[in-house]
Amino acid sequence: MSKCLPQLKIVNCLHVFRAKHRITQEQLAKEIGVTRATIVAIEGGDYNPSLELAFRIACYFKTDINTIFSIKEEMK
Amino acid sequence: MKRFDSVLLKVFLYGLPLAAVLAVFSYFYGVGVVKHGGGYVKFLNGFAGLVLAVWMMLSVLLSLRLIVSGPFRDRVIARITFIRERDEREAILTGKATKTAFLTSFAFLVLLFCLSCFQVSIYRVPQEKAVDGKTGIVSLGFGFSLLEHGRQDRPEDTIERINIFSYRGLPVSNATIILMLIVWQIISYNYSMRRLMK
Repeated sequence: MSKCLPQLKIVNCLHVFRAKHRITQEQLAKEIGVTRATIVAIEGGDYNPSLELAFRIACYFKTDINTIFSIKEEMK
Repeated sequence: MKRFDSVLLKVFLYGLPLAAVLAVFSYFYGVGVVKHGGGYVKFLNGFAGLVLAVWMMLSVLLSLRLIVSGPFRDRVIARITFIRERDEREAILTGKATKTAFLTSFAFLVLLFCLSCFQVSIYRVPQEKAVDGKTGIVSLGFGFSLLEHGRQDRPEDTIERINIFSYRGLPVSNATIILMLIVWQIISYNYSMRRLMK
């Protein structure tokens, strides 16, 4: 990969949506068909979900994918 | 075929304790004891022998099924090696851990290949056989042969020598090396999976 390309970091506010809807990580995980560890990893920024999972999360909160996930540019 | 695989696996697993009992039995009681033993001993030996024969045949059949059948392999090997893929993240981590396991196993195989081929001997010869006044000799060799019995035996050295150090390949059997590799694969996979899960 070229050095001048910016590093894209995907950030999310999943914990905010979860708090708004008053559901636990365990409940959300069960609803969207993943493990709680995956929710923990997504919220902690250690794991970027696939498009399918991102859409599933957005659908669950009845919102747009961009409101939960956004891109933060970082020059490496 | 799925039902056949399931039956095959169950018979293999349930036959394991019986095979173990036979192994213990034959360890404690030799052929002579069975020959001169009573009806009970003979019956037990005959029955356990039959079970072992069937179990051995099933082991080969099961191994072949594991090689050719993808879904069966996924079901059985995944359970034996503790592979868990409950969601997409775990599937990705499994891939990464498998890569690590493959690469470390490959490196381990290269090491084993070197250790099984290299031959080193350090010895001393009598003063009259000295080369340029030197009696200490280091002999290096590469003992690779394609077939187990295809080795071309060189005539034995008749020179008197005092061995200081001699290494002529790995002193372990083929079965031990294969077992070591199986254990290595499982350990390296599980270790890297645990590290990735943290």
